[in-house]
Amino acid sequence: MKLQSKTLLYLILPLLAVVSGFAPATFSASRFTLDDKDDKKDKDKDAEGEEDEDEDKDRYLAVIDGDVYAGTGAVLRGATILSKNGVIEEIGHDLWIPEEAEIVNAKGMRVYPGMIAVEANSSIVVSSGRSADEGVTDLHPVDHEIDPVKVFEALADELMETRHAVEDSYDPFGQNLLLALATGITSTVSNGAAIKLKRGEIDDLVMNEGNYAAMTWSSNNPAGKRSLRQKFEAASAYLRDYRKWERRPKSDKDEKPPSDKDIDKNVVAVLSGQKRAKFTSNEQGDLLSLARFAQEYEFRPIIEGCIEGWTVAAELGRAGATAIITPRDRRDRDENLLRESGSTIENAAILYEHGVQIAIIPSDTSMNMGGVMGRDLMHLPIEVGFAMRGGLPESAALESVTVVPARLLGISHRVGTLEVGKDCDLIVTDGDLLHYQTFVQYTVVDGSLAYDKQKEIFFAHIRPRAVEEVLDPGEEVVEDAEADTESEDSEEVEELTDESVGVEDESESESEDDSEEPTEDGR
Amino acid sequence: MAIRVGRAETVSHGTIEHAVILVENGKIITIGQDLPIDRGIPTLDRPDWTVMPGLVNAYSRYGLRGQGGAGSTPHQLASAELYPRDATFDDLLEYGYTTLGLYPPGNGIPGQAVAIRPSGDRVSDLIIRDHAYLKILLSSNAGSKKMLRDGFASVDKFDEKEAKNLEKWEKAKEKAEKKKKKSKKDDDEKDEKKEEEEKIGDYEPLVPDDKVLPFIQLRSGELSAMFAIRTASDYIHLIDAIGEEEFSWSLRVPLRDDINLYEVAERIGKLEKCVLVEPRLTLHPGTRRSRNLPNELVGAGAKLAFMPRSDSERGHKEWRLNVAELIVAGLSRDVALRAMTLEPATLLGLGERVGSLEEGKDANMVFLSGDPFEGTSQIEAVMLEGQIVFGELN
Repeated sequence: MKLQSKTLLYLILPLLAVVSGFAPATFSASRFTLDDKDDKKDKDKDAEGEEDEDEDKDRYLAVIDGDVYAGTGAVLRGATILSKNGVIEEIGHDLWIPEEAEIVNAKGMRVYPGMIAVEANSSIVVSSGRSADEGVTDLHPVDHEIDPVKVFEALADELMETRHAVEDSYDPFGQNLLLALATGITSTVSNGAAIKLKRGEIDDLVMNEGNYAAMTWSSNNPAGKRSLRQKFEAASAYLRDYRKWERRPKSDKDEKPPSDKDIDKNVVAVLSGQKRAKFTSNEQGDLLSLARFAQEYEFRPIIEGCIEGWTVAAELGRAGATAIITPRDRRDRDENLLRESGSTIENAAILYEHGVQIAIIPSDTSMNMGGVMGRDLMHLPIEVGFAMRGGLPESAALESVTVVPARLLGISHRVGTLEVGKDCDLIVTDGDLLHYQTFVQYTVVDGSLAYDKQKEIFFAHIRPRAVEEVLDPGEEVVEDAEADTESEDSEEVEELTDESVGVEDESESESEDDSEEPTEDGR
Repeated sequence: MAIRVGRAETVSHGTIEHAVILVENGKIITIGQDLPIDRGIPTLDRPDWTVMPGLVNAYSRYGLRGQGGAGSTPHQLASAELYPRDATFDDLLEYGYTTLGLYPPGNGIPGQAVAIRPSGDRVSDLIIRDHAYLKILLSSNAGSKKMLRDGFASVDKFDEKEAKNLEKWEKAKEKAEKKKKKSKKDDDEKDEKKEEEEKIGDYEPLVPDDKVLPFIQLRSGELSAMFAIRTASDYIHLIDAIGEEEFSWSLRVPLRDDINLYEVAERIGKLEKCVLVEPRLTLHPGTRRSRNLPNELVGAGAKLAFMPRSDSERGHKEWRLNVAELIVAGLSRDVALRAMTLEPATLLGLGERVGSLEEGKDANMVFLSGDPFEGTSQIEAVMLEGQIVFGELN
């Protein structure tokens, strides 16, 4: 139903834009020339008409009166975020909001950047139950001619392929997608590409076609370690030669660039900073040698798992590593060792203290109502809560599902924090995002409302949101008066909407005994 | 022949009380309220009866036994599978079906449907319109979308080839003309040259490949497409796959429980596309709450065509009553009638010929003892192109 009204809005917007004088300069310019030449008039008019239709009318959305946790460290109380065509146009107080803007009332609620899941089961974006059986066997074979000159083009094509694979199978109405949006996840990974969880749209989903280069480093496979070291050695030698060639004197025009034969392209990409090398490793010996290896070749590894990372945290920090952690993962300590080993709930906190960036992911990256319920993607904030329980600061905990994953996926220039110029991917919650009781009330993706708790069947009945009153200048005075009388009871109520006071009061009294109540940190 | 009945559901011009219909040579000559009937014309007088256009099922495989593959075979015709004198069609006549659309089997792009009248001794007697529509199954995956895109790409390729061929021919012609002039100057000295001139005749356009032709016809409007989709997502991907291409198409969506088609109802409505569905109430995903999707589609602006719930004898028999369930749930009666006659006829490209009681259309009629959507109404007689094919009219 929301979508339907939205599409209607799209229809109406261009008309509004023209009527109310929001038309761009080109429009008025073409009209200006009309007066000069009468014979061209008709043609111009036609062109004008087309322009009006084709013109992407500006699409506004305003999230008003929320406490904005921008992810940059800033918290703006009662601020408004204005999105224009999916990009954050302005954040602040007393903003001018265009009349046609869609309004999300976040009064008494919090606004966070949308969460980013560094991994996701394909069932999130492709509807389950649809296999390839009703498909198609008559696929035309693609020519796989190998032409060394066109390696780059081939690579580009390959990237295009991933783009299509995701965008041609994405289910913009899937139930799991909706659950992800209900969780507050607005971006994730599919087929190696970082994508946006758009609802009802399949255009421009892909933000980055692939930022990882997966590699293995394990003491179980010494030959693999050796060959990886050789690859890095060869690649760095190649890069040295290449830079030397780039700086050659002008007289040596004929000198050829160094041969990249037998050089691993992925390793070159890692060494030159175009990609991040990603390893899966949990054992302290591996982690230590990997950290030293990374320092030797000066690249910053991504380490998934990293269960025993806390035992070698200093070294990992020096290597500039990023760890993808599942705080509830368990590993027994090795009784043969005198030194510490095994898993600890403090892992994330210790790693963070030593400068390792932390991204967090649950152990099951699907939407799972079965055996591991509570450890699936729907409980991403809960998983983060376990890292906080182990001592991870709240700011780092928030970053572990927003800006750090954005950096890992190479999309931090677009998402991960709420800043002017970034994509308007945000969530509105009825409390601290990392509190177990908190629900996502609204999810906005690319400046479009993609989820509204009250309009989907999943959680609408749990602590339902009170019906929003229509904002009318005449009524506002009355509303304020009501709020004033109520706020006499306690100053804290100021932040809350008058409708939700009852519910919140209950939670406050409940949480008084609980010393680990995260909401208190936030206030 | 003149027919006087208590009520006529014309579909195109509303309901006519005390209707008189004049039929000659299998066509409806005129229809109206209390028309005078010339003396001498045999008249059928049934003031208790209601008449409606013959039912049209545009999407069936009744009586067909072929098996299909999964590839792209747009040139395949369902008419190739027809067996005349198949007794099963008699059942359908009895239930009031006067036009059937039979589609080819298989996945991918299985081929083209055929519109038939369910009566006739030879295949040619059965067929009303071959190439009724091109059936294409589209789902949310790259392969399926590629198949459609490749179809149109093959037309582009063919057009390019054709243009080159034409250019080649024009050059050859030019050369020949030059030579002609020369040879005239030479006073026809050499006969050999003359022979050469004769070799270049009129331009012969290339003959397109069987698989390309249907897509050429789609573009030119000779053929329309029917896309079978299953979810709202499929629709989004269909629109994406169609892209800038312009041709006439309709949708076939099986209404299963938990279908989320309402997500795109507004978009389908905006394009005013025809959607072919079963008369069935579906459940909202994850709930036991029923939705009247056909009604929602109509409300959004889409056209609605019905088909029986199952492609069986029983499905055809209970069609009217199944549609009645949706009327009870809020669907407009007029829309429902239209969705059983004129809309499916239009899908088959026969909107000008059958599907309503109008002057000039085929005299396909179902005579009922009462309202078509009343459970107690019986079919008294069925007329196919002026011939009574079921029931007694004396």
